[in-house]
Amino acid sequence: MAKNFSTPSAETSTMSITTRHFGVIQVRPDQVILLEPGLLGFGQYHRYILIEHQRESPFLWLQCLDNPDLAFVVTDPLCLLPEYRPPQLARVIEEMKPESPEDMKILVILTIPPGRPQEMTANLMGPVVIDLKRRRGRQIVVEDPRYSHKYRVLPEKV
Amino acid sequence: MLILTRKIGEGLFIGDDIRITILEVRGKQIRLGIEAPANVVVLREEIYRRIQEENLQAAEARGVDVTQLAKLWKRE
Repeated sequence: MAKNFSTPSAETSTMSITTRHFGVIQVRPDQVILLEPGLLGFGQYHRYILIEHQRESPFLWLQCLDNPDLAFVVTDPLCLLPEYRPPQLARVIEEMKPESPEDMKILVILTIPPGRPQEMTANLMGPVVIDLKRRRGRQIVVEDPRYSHKYRVLPEKV
Repeated sequence: MLILTRKIGEGLFIGDDIRITILEVRGKQIRLGIEAPANVVVLREEIYRRIQEENLQAAEARGVDVTQLAKLWKRE
């Protein structure tokens, strides 16, 4: 785990990591988000950062720090489904006891088949809830027939 | 695999803080009570596998595709 990090410099204590998607990036400790438990299937990794994709892009990258080759494309589910409001979500947010409701960021993970972006799906069943203030989050599982793990975002043909 | 036989009302511990109790047996169905810390994920196997598999597929996303999607998004 630690081998992916260079020695933090004394003044800034930023970490320098070499990622698959972004090359070498500098990470400040206050940017790190701890996912506990980790994402299902990646339970051994806990430290992530959010990276904006581009200006005016609805996407963010959830870049893993414990495995720099690992990154997920995520987005605000309300961009896809304005009425997305699974009941479990409210309960989990309450359990996480944020200082303010505005600190809570809900994201859904997108599956983009390589070379076939049109077939992108959103995992509405496994949203990631992050307390941006405390920098902690988790993936929750929503068992609600309205919310598929493979919600087709774009129509079959444009 | 460890195999144990339990009666209704009996339970077992996994480590110090996960407790499973057999609540009811109805024909082929068994109701289990599970007490576990909040940081332990407890899911039905099929649900666990579905989300896990989706996360594994999502990890394959490529930057070029995301950029293409962002362009598409802006146009719509």
